[in-house]
Amino acid sequence: MVQLDDTYLGRLRRRDPEALRAVVDEQGRRLYRAARGMGYSKSEAEDLVQDVFVTFIESIERFEGRAQVGTWLFGILHHKSQERRRTLVRDQLNDPIDQIFESQFDARGNWIRPPPAPDRHVSAQEAGKAIQDCLEGLSPSQRDVFQLRQVEELSAAEVCKISGKTITHVGVLFHRARMKLRECLEGKGWGRSQ
Amino acid sequence: MMTCHDVSTLVSTGELPEAPLVRRLGVRMHLAMCRHCRAFRRQVATIARAARAASLTFERELPEDFESKIVQRLRPLDGGV
Repeated sequence: MVQLDDTYLGRLRRRDPEALRAVVDEQGRRLYRAARGMGYSKSEAEDLVQDVFVTFIESIERFEGRAQVGTWLFGILHHKSQERRRTLVRDQLNDPIDQIFESQFDARGNWIRPPPAPDRHVSAQEAGKAIQDCLEGLSPSQRDVFQLRQVEELSAAEVCKISGKTITHVGVLFHRARMKLRECLEGKGWGRSQ
Repeated sequence: MMTCHDVSTLVSTGELPEAPLVRRLGVRMHLAMCRHCRAFRRQVATIARAARAASLTFERELPEDFESKIVQRLRPLDGGV
């Protein structure tokens, strides 16, 4: 990982091509797969990532080096993504998935409909394909949080910084995303013995 | 005593690693005794594996000159050092 010492930060601020290339090499593909995971097409995602780096360079004076470069770049990606979606979709206070989840427990908090054990013989490729369809059922915010938390493995605190949401809200969106995916995958027959 | 609802919510929101020690111990004890919650945790892990597999598919579709194209677009903005 690129170390953010003063010298490196200085080189970035001077827009040293080698330092910039190192950031692009380290973060470019990661940003691309996140953009794809958030629902953008191949060309949109490529364009979005290029935009992220342009903004990164243009705003580099504001980058104080306290955050990781990756967190800063994902913040820009999140912001750009919201701009592109234009209509700022408000997160629903209640999502139907909450009811579905709650209905699986009795009044004492025990499972009424216990989860089946997942299939053990699903190939990674098959799993990847199945979940791609299911991701379409998530709201943009759920999808963004799921991508950052689950795939990029960013901490809840980092995702709060990136998205400007509270830690509780990030947790709720992550939970809703996972439960929707779980329902969708179960609907595709996952977890049933073959 | 933690319920299945408490445990599955803590697992699913991703709050478990940051939860107080008492809660984490409570979850561990509950999981040791409850096969349904263990199945739930495995489902969540399966979702994670599937999402990472999908992500690798996205990465594989990138052209080899992906980074070079970005650097080219940045050239007018770099310091030309």
